[in-house]
Amino acid sequence: MIDLKDVRKHYRSGNLKSEVLRGVNLQVKQGEYVAIMGKSGSGKSTMLNLLGTLDVLDTGEYKLAGKSVHKMSRGKRVRLRNEEIGFVFQHFQLIPNLSVFQNVLLPLTYGRKRLGKKKARVLALLDEMGLLDKKNQKPDRLSGGEKQRVAIARALVNEPGLILADEPTGSLDEETTESILSLFDRVHEQGATIVVITHDQEVAERAGRILRLQNGVLV
Amino acid sequence: MKLFTAFKLACFGLWSNRYRVLSAMMGVVIGMFAVIVLTAIAIGVKDTLMKQMGSLGAEQILVMPGRVLDTANGQKDLLSGLTSVPSTLTYEDAKAVEDVPDVKTVTPQLETVNFVEYEDKTVQSAIVGTTDQYSRVQHAKLAEGRFFTKEEQLAESKVVVVGNNIHDSLLGKNELPEAEEGSSTNVAEPMSWWKRLLNKILGEKVSAEETSLVGQSITINEESFEVIGVLAPNATLGSSTDNNVVMPIETALATTDMKNLTKMIVEASSLDAVDEVDGAVFNALSANHSEIDFSVVKQDQMLGALGKVTSILQVMLVGITATALLISGTGIMNVMVMSVRERTREIGIRKALGATTIEIMMQFFFETLLLCIIGGAVGIGLGYAFIEVWNGNIEIFALVLPMWAVKLALYTSVAIGSLVGIYPALKAASMKPSKALRFE
Repeated sequence: MIDLKDVRKHYRSGNLKSEVLRGVNLQVKQGEYVAIMGKSGSGKSTMLNLLGTLDVLDTGEYKLAGKSVHKMSRGKRVRLRNEEIGFVFQHFQLIPNLSVFQNVLLPLTYGRKRLGKKKARVLALLDEMGLLDKKNQKPDRLSGGEKQRVAIARALVNEPGLILADEPTGSLDEETTESILSLFDRVHEQGATIVVITHDQEVAERAGRILRLQNGVLV
Repeated sequence: MKLFTAFKLACFGLWSNRYRVLSAMMGVVIGMFAVIVLTAIAIGVKDTLMKQMGSLGAEQILVMPGRVLDTANGQKDLLSGLTSVPSTLTYEDAKAVEDVPDVKTVTPQLETVNFVEYEDKTVQSAIVGTTDQYSRVQHAKLAEGRFFTKEEQLAESKVVVVGNNIHDSLLGKNELPEAEEGSSTNVAEPMSWWKRLLNKILGEKVSAEETSLVGQSITINEESFEVIGVLAPNATLGSSTDNNVVMPIETALATTDMKNLTKMIVEASSLDAVDEVDGAVFNALSANHSEIDFSVVKQDQMLGALGKVTSILQVMLVGITATALLISGTGIMNVMVMSVRERTREIGIRKALGATTIEIMMQFFFETLLLCIIGGAVGIGLGYAFIEVWNGNIEIFALVLPMWAVKLALYTSVAIGSLVGIYPALKAASMKPSKALRFE
């Protein structure tokens, strides 16, 4: 599913050049559940941005679902992101003035699926997440766990091959964390490939494989 | 590119931020309201002035006291006449003009201000002494009764025709309910528009006892006059007859101290004779005057001078409205740029979920465009409503809204929306999703 070869990425701040990823190699198989751990500043977020095509690598190769992302135009990367990747963020990243239903519908708005199917798909997912009765509510009326379930529903709505989660339980209490992790387990059982970026050992241990990012290199 | 999707998202974006949008829209609403109303005022004033001056008729020549100077391009500088010496034109001048070949009629007018009394009411009025041709020349229609005849004029009959406002004031119709009982002296001023509007809403107070002065006697300067007619309301710019009491010129000369004419309208026998009559009238009057202290102005000269004045007015209004629109456009752009900044994270989320640069750009562009179009439509609607209310209640002059002004306002709002929408749209579209998602 994912194939990174000698990926390097640096950022520049004035005259200072900071090399964040220094030759990362990673292979993740279809249906695998992988956790990437690392301390603050280890390059976890940069890794997620590159895997999610939110940013571009400097050198190296990145293949996602057999497609060479590093050679793609911006437009194709956007299409790939919409169709193949689902994001779950630490701070949920829901649009506050959209309802639960509209937030989940958003990836389909930018996709190519037909409207009738879109609505049915969103309602089915909300039902699965136990949020059907809250479909017309705005995110600020929801609890942290409910918000994250909305975000997971949104990540799944396009039936992507890859779920990228960035500290998905970072803003949740212990009980809610468990319910969200159970949800990830369920999604994984249904065949999704999951990459979780976390610094929480408990969260990482739910994955089938744990990788550590140190000084811009996976160990 | 799914334009319809971008349009739908823009509509939703506006609705979601409706309170901020409303405040931003006010700029366009006011700008378009200004375009509509100011254009209607400019066209209305021009039409009214042209109609009044045009009502002289192409065969008519105006003789005024004071010397109207010629401008460098040969036009009459009408304003220069206003600063001239008091009138030296007399009834004898009018009689001399009557003898000029090809002159059909001469309508001289004497004017003074005096108090008119009826029972316990005293009203200040403009007393006009003129000929039986006055109503025709001034286009003063009668509400009731009749105008005096040539015979009554020559016989110095003590008959008058009163203006509508004077008539109503003498009968107490213009008094508001809270007017003091003891006060018996009114100054006849045209009722203000808001009082008329109030009266229309509340229902005008009409005296149940007396509704007409025709056949009654009024007193002017201790002389008794019979009211034989009442002029219909004629509140027009600068030349209203509503506050006039019109009497035969011979009667005015015999019973008042009026001697000098305020103006004289000379009618040529045909359109072809106007130029010849114009020169001959000037010569006839010059023979009676030691210096040129009067002016003879033809209708086309007056219209030419007025056309210039109204053109200046229109250019000024275009400048004012353009400034108003520039300010409102800048305001909207600022609001939209702020909106883009406030919605940075939203833009990041949308991009992360698959929105393309073009889709984000189109969404924000449509938001600004829609904001301007809706604001423009509301401004035009309010302007139209204002014009309707004005024309329904205010008689001083009618506002005229030409279709081109509505189109201009609409096209302008679209143009402003398109222009000021580009920058915020580009700003939103150029954001990197990874950075936008981290925006606090």
